[in-house]
Amino acid sequence: MKKILTGFFVLSLLLTLFSGMVAAEVQLKFLHRWTQEPYYSFFEEVAADFEKLNPNVKVDVQAISNDPFKEKIKIILGTEQGPDVFFSWPGEFTNRFIRAGQVYDLTDVMEQGWKDDFVYSQLEPFIYNGKIYGSPFRLDAKVFVYNTKIFQEVGVAIPETFEDLLRVCAELKQAGITPIAFGNQAPWAVSHYIGTLNQKCVPDQIRLTDIQPEKGTFTHPGYVEALKKYQQLVPYFNQNANAIKHDEARINLFNGKAAMMYLEIVEIPEIERSAPEEFKANYGIFKFPVIEDGMGDQDYLTGYPEGFVVSANTKHPAEAIAFLKYLTGKEVGKKEAQELGFINGIKNVVDKGEVKDSIYDSTQIILEAKSLVNWLDSSLHAKIWSVYGPELQKLTDNMTTPEKIMQQIVKTAERVRSEF
Amino acid sequence: MKRGKYTHWLFIIPALLFVLIFVYIPILQSFYFSLFRMNSYSPETIFVGLRHYRDIFDDPIFYTALKNNTWYAVISVLCQVGIGLVLAIILESKFIGRSRKLFRNIYFLPSVISVTAVGLMWYFIYNPNIGLINSLIRWGGAKDFSFAWLGQPKTAIFAIIAMSQWQYVGYIMMLLIVAIQKIPVELYDAAEIDGAGEVKKALFVTIPQVKEMLLVTSVITVIGSFKLFTEVFVTTRGGPYDTTQVLGTYMYRHAFFFDAMGYASAVAIIIFVITFVASLLQIKLSTRN
Repeated sequence: MKKILTGFFVLSLLLTLFSGMVAAEVQLKFLHRWTQEPYYSFFEEVAADFEKLNPNVKVDVQAISNDPFKEKIKIILGTEQGPDVFFSWPGEFTNRFIRAGQVYDLTDVMEQGWKDDFVYSQLEPFIYNGKIYGSPFRLDAKVFVYNTKIFQEVGVAIPETFEDLLRVCAELKQAGITPIAFGNQAPWAVSHYIGTLNQKCVPDQIRLTDIQPEKGTFTHPGYVEALKKYQQLVPYFNQNANAIKHDEARINLFNGKAAMMYLEIVEIPEIERSAPEEFKANYGIFKFPVIEDGMGDQDYLTGYPEGFVVSANTKHPAEAIAFLKYLTGKEVGKKEAQELGFINGIKNVVDKGEVKDSIYDSTQIILEAKSLVNWLDSSLHAKIWSVYGPELQKLTDNMTTPEKIMQQIVKTAERVRSEF
Repeated sequence: MKRGKYTHWLFIIPALLFVLIFVYIPILQSFYFSLFRMNSYSPETIFVGLRHYRDIFDDPIFYTALKNNTWYAVISVLCQVGIGLVLAIILESKFIGRSRKLFRNIYFLPSVISVTAVGLMWYFIYNPNIGLINSLIRWGGAKDFSFAWLGQPKTAIFAIIAMSQWQYVGYIMMLLIVAIQKIPVELYDAAEIDGAGEVKKALFVTIPQVKEMLLVTSVITVIGSFKLFTEVFVTTRGGPYDTTQVLGTYMYRHAFFFDAMGYASAVAIIIFVITFVASLLQIKLSTRN
């Protein structure tokens, strides 16, 4: 009995000592939005590697999947136990947190040379009111992915202009093929179309003023024009677009049930990983066709990088910044490109031949673009998007008109302005 | 031990404090929050008075939500309590015989499955391309049939309501079976002597005897209908274009999607008032007799 008691005593003493040692370490909380494999393990590995390089730091990795992330991050940031380093979409999505004083200002550390590591066009989105708040983790842009075999069989070429696109769609439809796969159950999918069309139809200066919540009016006729163009595309989508998830529609594209789909470049690794061999051997990409009488710059590309920011409430800013620098740096970037197929914002992170050509080439489209246009949903004020999103779904079902939608947006923008 | 004048308070206070801290104070707090424009991640709050309430009553989506909750309540009371009662009477009658227990379990089973799992299952049943319902219809002859039950504004909310009926009818049935089992056998014997058949026995003995339980189950379903959230959240999230929004999801959307915590608090207060009035009415009705 005595022995047992002594043993117990020694054990508890050891435990206390051990826990004391753990407490001496720096604990970093890291939050990202990739719950699926292989992404989840990738972040675990990166965290473990960082711990090896920095033995005094422990990184606690947590993930919330894409759509819930948009809601939960807002609650988490309001608590004491918020993350030190977290994922965010640059633009209004992050700017609202910056305005609330939740994001650490990285300008000083960036100016000490770090800034020069990046392709500037990919760092720029993280700048708000002249200050740098984040670091890009992966580049992204929207392109049409099409089935080369179907295009060949029907005898249509890659469309150069919007009119061409409509003609190609009409011919495909006549041949009995669904021209465009579209899953719009979550309306971010339609926001990508409208974001592109708005950019192409509205003069850039006006559009860039309108996305600032304190100034936006949305009165330019180009916005209605953009929605009218979208209406012309609607007959060429698959049936029930609003009832289908984006991924379900994508599977239809993979299985040859549709000829093309408006996809993100970051979905190309997914094609390489999970599409049938048949599709992998027969797909190509093209940029959204130009709108000849459009008032916006036709060389812009819709798409924005995603990245990570440091919380303004972190107790360990030095360690958090070190982790951010490692996470979005060249070494991890190479591993990321080879294992996940994502390219980060560092200059020349991989050379041709180091990754699959499809991934390398598609990334060049982003780097060569004249300018990038942020996703419509994350560039708009939450209240404006709250009207825009459902209304765009209605338009997809022909339940409203472009004029009616823009009337509502103008009214909502007016209210948002009055709240600033 | 001498019993003091205030001893009974000693016994009441712990429970009272508990209820006060976890129920009444949060309700008052919600009302207080509803007077401010605020969000969850910023310390900044702006006093707006009763403006949120005015905005809610100006918002057409609020009325869609209210209408959907009302549909849900009406259909649930008719189906769950109505069909539940019929099922309970049949299962407690003579002709069901030995398979009574089997059927009881079959009907009760759905109500023990988590709502999230049920929602996901029905999401697939209703799927326009691979769903069970459309596959059956296609198998039955309509070859190109593809109807999005959850994607069409006219059917979506009713598809969700149907799912809930499937899930909870067995639960209400079980409560009513318990009530029926408590009815003294003598009443049935007397009815039989008077020449009553099974239908008449059900109408004139069973139903009047379980009236109280019918009321309780109606209260449960009506209040449940206005607190609805998960069923909608896992199937449509309020879409397509807000046509399946119910008060619960409407509140959630404003709180966590549109950064309007104060507005959401105002919605919460309205939900509270509705359920409170509904239960008051029903309690009043039940005590009158």
